[in-house]
Amino acid sequence: MAVIELKGVEKSFGSVKVIRGVDLKVEHGEFVVFVGPSGSGKSTLLRLVAGLEETSGGTILIDGRDVTNLGPAERELAMVFQSYALYPHKTIRGNMSFGLEVAGFPKDEIRQRVDEVARLLQLSDYLERKPRELSGGQRQRVAIGRAIVREPVAFMFDEPLSNLDAGLRVDMRIEITKLHQRLGATMIYVTHDQVEAMTLADRIVVLDKGIIQQTGSPLELYEHPANLFVAQFIGSPKMNVLPAAFKEGRISINGGVGIEAGKMTGTDVANVGIRPDDIEISPDGTGLIHGKVDVVERLGSDTFAYVAVPGAHAVTVRAPRDSAVAIGQDVGLTFRPERLQIFAVDGTSLRLRPGV
Amino acid sequence: MAIVSKTANSASFRNSRRWLTVALALYFIYTFIPIFYVIVSSTKSNADLFGTFGLWFSGDFHFWQNLQDLFTYQDGIFSRWLLNTILYSVVSGVGAALFATFAGYAFSKFEFVGKKLSFALVLGAVMIPQTALVIPIFLLLSKVGLVNTPWAVILPSLVFPPGVFLMKVYADDALSNELIEAGRVDGAGEVHIFFNIAFRLLTPGFATVLILAFVATWNNYFLPLVLLNSSDNFPVTVGLSQWYALATSGSGGAVLFSIVMAGSLVSIVPVIAAFLIMQRYWQGGLGAGGVKA
Amino acid sequence: MPDAVATRRRGRVYVTKSVAPYLFLLPFMALFIAFLIAPLCYAFGLSLFKTTMVAGTQFVGAANYLKVFTDPSFWDGVVLLFKFGLMQIPIMLGLALLYALILDSGRVYGRNFFRIAFFIPYAVPSVIAALLWGYLYGPSFGPFGQLAEFFHLPKPQFLLDGTILGSIANIAVWEFMGYNLIIYFAALQAIPQDLEEASSVDGATGLQYALRIKLPLIMPTVIVTIIFSIIGTLQLFSEPYLMRNLAPGIINSHYTPNFYAYTLAFTNQQYNYSAAVSFVLGGVVAVVSYVFMLLANRRAA
Repeated sequence: MAVIELKGVEKSFGSVKVIRGVDLKVEHGEFVVFVGPSGSGKSTLLRLVAGLEETSGGTILIDGRDVTNLGPAERELAMVFQSYALYPHKTIRGNMSFGLEVAGFPKDEIRQRVDEVARLLQLSDYLERKPRELSGGQRQRVAIGRAIVREPVAFMFDEPLSNLDAGLRVDMRIEITKLHQRLGATMIYVTHDQVEAMTLADRIVVLDKGIIQQTGSPLELYEHPANLFVAQFIGSPKMNVLPAAFKEGRISINGGVGIEAGKMTGTDVANVGIRPDDIEISPDGTGLIHGKVDVVERLGSDTFAYVAVPGAHAVTVRAPRDSAVAIGQDVGLTFRPERLQIFAVDGTSLRLRPGV
Repeated sequence: MAIVSKTANSASFRNSRRWLTVALALYFIYTFIPIFYVIVSSTKSNADLFGTFGLWFSGDFHFWQNLQDLFTYQDGIFSRWLLNTILYSVVSGVGAALFATFAGYAFSKFEFVGKKLSFALVLGAVMIPQTALVIPIFLLLSKVGLVNTPWAVILPSLVFPPGVFLMKVYADDALSNELIEAGRVDGAGEVHIFFNIAFRLLTPGFATVLILAFVATWNNYFLPLVLLNSSDNFPVTVGLSQWYALATSGSGGAVLFSIVMAGSLVSIVPVIAAFLIMQRYWQGGLGAGGVKA
Repeated sequence: MPDAVATRRRGRVYVTKSVAPYLFLLPFMALFIAFLIAPLCYAFGLSLFKTTMVAGTQFVGAANYLKVFTDPSFWDGVVLLFKFGLMQIPIMLGLALLYALILDSGRVYGRNFFRIAFFIPYAVPSVIAALLWGYLYGPSFGPFGQLAEFFHLPKPQFLLDGTILGSIANIAVWEFMGYNLIIYFAALQAIPQDLEEASSVDGATGLQYALRIKLPLIMPTVIVTIIFSIIGTLQLFSEPYLMRNLAPGIINSHYTPNFYAYTLAFTNQQYNYSAAVSFVLGGVVAVVSYVFMLLANRRAA
C-alpha cells in the first residue's frame, strides 16, 4: 500500500532521451495503467519506478521516502514480467519462496505464506511442479503469486498478458481486477493494448515519445482527449479524423458544409475527429459528408462500414448489426455536431464545442 | 522429421537417401583409417608392425605386452605423463570454463565502463600467433621461477578467450534479462543471482566450454614443449613425440614404435570418451520451460 | 560511488549491480592481462632490442623488423603457408559444408552416428594425428605402400618435396573437417522449419532448397569459419615439426614462420629477433583476415 510520486523523472540511453520529464502521483490503492505505442517509454517508466533502471534526472518517492537511488528490493515492490521470468530449475514453491528466502524469513512462515497465496490463486496442486509443466495461464498466476507472497507495498505489471492467447487474456484480465479489489494494493500496469487499459484502469496515463500526453479515467480520455494522439490511441475502432478549417464563424469539414463554431474564434482549426459510434449512415444526398461504401465488416454484434470520402481517409462507421448497407453504395454521413472533437494545427484539442 | 510427408515415401526420396548415405560412409572410412590403424598397430609386436599388412591384425595378439611395455619403459614414466595430462587438463578445463562463464555473463548482462574495449581485446586475442605468446611467457615465467612447473602450463591455459565469446553468446540467448531482474526484485544480490539462477541455466554452455578447454589443454603441444624441460613434468603429447622422434631418428630407437602406438591409443581414448559422454549432456536445454522463446 | 560497495546484509555478502560486472570479470581479466597482454608487451619490447656477445643488449628500434622484411627464411615460410591454405581451407570447408548439408537434409541413415564419428578426429591431439599419418605415409611400411606393392603398382610417395605439403594439408583436413561440420550443422538446424515447407510449396527440390535457401542463410557462419581457418593455418607448427624426421632436408628449421620463430628462440637463442618474427607474422594474420573480411563484405553488399 503506497503512494508513488514521480517528480521530473528523466531517462536517457546514451544520447537518446527516452523519458523527458515525467511528473505523476499514483494514489494509495490506485490502479494506474501506462499505455502507449512501442517506443513511447511506458516500459522504461515502469522499470524506473521498480528500480531496474537508474534515472538520469528527477526523483521518485514511495510513501514520501526518496527511493531514487535504491535498488529494486529495497523499494519493497513486486513485479510481474512479460515473460513471467519464472526460475525454470525451481519448483513453483521454490519460485514463490525465493524472495522470502533471500530476505531471511523463517522456513515455517515461508511455507505458510506460499500455501496461502497458492490457495488464493488455485495453484495448490501445482506447488511441487516445474514451470515447464504448467500452462501459460498457470505460469502467469505463479508470476503473480510470487509477487503477492512478499506482501509488497505496490505491484508493477509489465505487459503481463501479452503472451497469452485472446480467450485466456480476457479471463486473466478479470482475475487481475478481482485481485486488485481484494488486495486493495497500489498497482502500476503497462500495456500497449488500449482495451486492457480501459478495462483495468482507475486512471490511464497515455505516453508518447517519453512524455505524458494525458492522464485521466478511461471515460475522460474517451470523451475528452487532450490531443489528436490520445484521441486516436484510445477507442476501437480508431476515431475518424477529417481535415477542417475555420471559415466565417463556422467550421468547414473536408472543404464542405460548415457547422456552428459557437463561441470559438480561433483560426488554427486543422482537424475534426468523430468516433465511429457517433456517425449514422443516411441516404445519398443527405448528411454532412458523402462517400462510397468500400468495405463492410459484419461482426455479429455490430457492422462496420468503411466509407471512402473524397479528400479524406476512409471513414469508419459503426452501424447496427442488421444494417442493409452494401459495398459500392453512395451514402451520406450524419453526426451530431456536439460529438465532434476539434483539433488545432499542433494537435491539441480545442475544448470549445459548437453550440455550447 | 524435416521432411514434407508427401515426399517421404517416394522412390526418389529413398534413392537419394541411399546415395547420400553412401557419400557419408566414404568419408567415414577416411576418418576411420588412422584410428583403425592405431587400434590394429597397438596389438602387434614391433616385428609384426613392419612385417605384416598395416591395416589388418596379425595372428599374434601382442596388445597386453605392448601396454605392459608402455607403462614400464623408462621406469614407467608414461603413467606419470598421463597423470600430468589429466591434472593439467582438468584444472585448466574447469578453471577456464568457470572464468569464461563469469566473464561471458558480465559481458552479456551488464553495462560497465570499458565494456566495448575489453570485449574487442578478448575477440582480437584469437589472432595472436602462439609463438608470439609462448616465447615471451617462457621468458617472463623463467624470471619468476615458474618454468618447468605445472603452473607454467596451467596458468596460461586458464585464459580461453573463445570460451568468453561463446558464453556471452550463450547467455544472450539462454538467459533472459527478465529472469535476472526478477531475482533483483526478489532482493537477491548479484553473486547470489549468478549462482542460484543464472549458472543453472548456463550449465549447457559451461559444459561446452569445459570440454573445449579440456581438450585444448589435453591436445596442447607447443606450450608444454616450450615451458617444460624435465621429463617428469611432460604431458603425454610432449613425451610421446619425444619417443617418436627417437624412433624415427634411426639411432636405435626403432623398438619404440609399437610402444608409441600403444601410447597413442591410450592417450586418445579418454578424450574421445569425454566427448561422447558430454555430447549428450550439452544437447539438453534447461531453459525452455520458464521463459518462452 | 559510496553505494557501489559490497555491503554485508543478513550475514551474506550482498553485491550490487554496479560492482558485479567488475567482480565477474576479475579472474579472467587478471589472467588475460598476465598471460596475454603482458607477454605481448614484453615481446614487443624485446623486438626493439638486440643482444650480442660483444655489445650486450642495445636498443635498435625497428632494425629487427627491417631485417624480417628482407629475410627470405621468413617469407619462404609465409609463401608456403599461402600455398598450404589455398589448398587445405577450401577442401576442408567445402567437405564440411557438403556433409553438413547432407546430414541436415534428413535424407540419410545413421545421422547421429556420422555426425559424431566425423567429429572424433578433433579429439585426437594434433601430435598424435601427425604421428599416425606419419606412419601411414611411410613408403616401405605404411599400409598404402604395402597395398601398392601387393598390386605391383608404383608406391605412392607422400613425403617428397612435391607431395609433403599436400600430405600435411591432408592431416589438417582430417583433424578439423568434423569440427567445422558441427558448426555448420548447428547453423543449419537453426533455420526455421517453415522455410523448407515454403520452398517445397514453391516447387523447389531438396537440392535447390539446400543451395539457394540454406546455403545463403549460413554464409555468415561460413565466413567466420574461413577467418578462423586462415588464422589457424598461418600458425601451423606441430605437424611439420613432428614430421621433420620423416622428410629430413625437406622440412627445414624455417619451414613455417612459427617453426622459424621457435628455432630462432630455442636453438639460436635469438629471442629479440624471434619476437620480431612473431609480430610480423601476427601482422600478416591480421592483414589477411582483414582483407578477406573486406572482400566478403563487398560481395555481400
